[in-house]
Amino acid sequence: MTEQATSVQLPRHTKGKRPYFFDDPAMDQMMTFLLELTTEVGVLRDRLDTVERLLDQHGSVTRAAIEGFQASQQLEDERNAWRAAYLKRVFRMHNAD
Amino acid sequence: MAANPKDIPVPSIEELFRPTHDERARQNMVSMIRKHAIIDLRKAMKDDYFNRVEPKLERDGGKPEDWAAIEKSMEHEASYRFYSSMRYNAQEMCYLSVQPTVERALPEMIDLARDLVARKPVGGSLRLNPALQIPKYITSLDVHLAPGWVHAEYTADDVAQGAVVSFGGKVFSGQHPYRKKPGAVGESISYWLRKKYPDFKPRRILDMGTTAGKNLFPYCDAYPQAEAYGIDVGAPVLRYGYAVAQHEGYPVHFSQQDAESTDFPDGHFDLIVSSFFFHEVSLKATRKILRECKRLLAPGGVMVHMELPDEASVSAYENFFWNWDTLNNNEPWYTSYRAQDPVSLCIEAGFEREQSFKMHVPDILTFGPEKHEKFMRGEIESPAHGSGGWFVFGARKTS
Repeated sequence: MTEQATSVQLPRHTKGKRPYFFDDPAMDQMMTFLLELTTEVGVLRDRLDTVERLLDQHGSVTRAAIEGFQASQQLEDERNAWRAAYLKRVFRMHNAD
Repeated sequence: MAANPKDIPVPSIEELFRPTHDERARQNMVSMIRKHAIIDLRKAMKDDYFNRVEPKLERDGGKPEDWAAIEKSMEHEASYRFYSSMRYNAQEMCYLSVQPTVERALPEMIDLARDLVARKPVGGSLRLNPALQIPKYITSLDVHLAPGWVHAEYTADDVAQGAVVSFGGKVFSGQHPYRKKPGAVGESISYWLRKKYPDFKPRRILDMGTTAGKNLFPYCDAYPQAEAYGIDVGAPVLRYGYAVAQHEGYPVHFSQQDAESTDFPDGHFDLIVSSFFFHEVSLKATRKILRECKRLLAPGGVMVHMELPDEASVSAYENFFWNWDTLNNNEPWYTSYRAQDPVSLCIEAGFEREQSFKMHVPDILTFGPEKHEKFMRGEIESPAHGSGGWFVFGARKTS
């Protein structure tokens, strides 16, 4: 028997020099926080949508039912339309002077 | 008669990737953020440059003449900063969003890959070389901001980076309008090759820098009589690719080799291909690899490499846009590679000028066969690279 792959932790940091796009590197860090948070709101929204759909269908919901929920292609298209519109709203750019 | 390899049931390594509800939601959200950056903000930045920044500089008598001057004029503009910041973060998040799913699936994935390598249900082979010196341009930084890229190994018989790069790639291109599915490059170029050379029947095909083989498989469909070979320096992507190929019924021969100097005999291949490959290796390596292609091709053989358009083929603004990846996507050879004329590189490697070419080939999945016919008749042009076309260069070796 060869070595078992148990609990491998893949590195979450990239080797190489990180570029900074703003005058203050703290702003670059803030953008990371903001984009991660934006993503998590999208995740929560999917979860809420799943809960609502399960309630519509069955009148009750369990964690197992959420995990087992399979989005149809049509639903995935609807969710993608929501995601695109959501990003447009959140990342509303100012007009440049 | 032997069974068709595609009819032999083989478990799928990709199906072992089972995201939780929230992991899937996160991966889908990241695909859309990536699309927002590479399509929407890219366009906003371009409009900002041409409608505001350039006219203002022109009025002041200092219109930027080349890509470096455009970059300098843009680097403090909000449109550039937010585009860049979102692209960079989205790129990191592509891989971050799949890593937990891969970590959970890893023991099962490794067991399956080991079993398939031992049994070889549809044939082919996997040849690894633990003594291979991985080039420094691969190990010194993580290309594409993918921690561990194609080569890092964290446990015995590891396939993790194969899965991270493949599924991270799916998140990356999930909402991209011109990247309909993995292998779109191989599908488009093999389609074009069959139209261009209807009588061409390669006996052996080599894909250099194959990663997990996704752009090699379409050539197996286009030329079912040919033996298919894929090489890469990274063992985890090859193990993973071998498992995927077995499930999909492709008897591919994968081997861990540096394309600068392979162990195949002279004239062994009729067709050599690569996708997104040369701009990731040093310029010195590019020259050596093209000479190796010349050695490996049989008389009458063809090489077609999908690459970024070279500097001379596109506008100053496009050069500014493409060269962004050099420092911001850990692709240090990007700018110096693109500064070369690919046809000259072929000639330097010993190919004849008249037999060497560079051009755009339409993405068949978005262009469709009808328009492709018109393209082949010279009635319409291919869309540009990144907008529904793929830039290619290569040469035919004369007999």
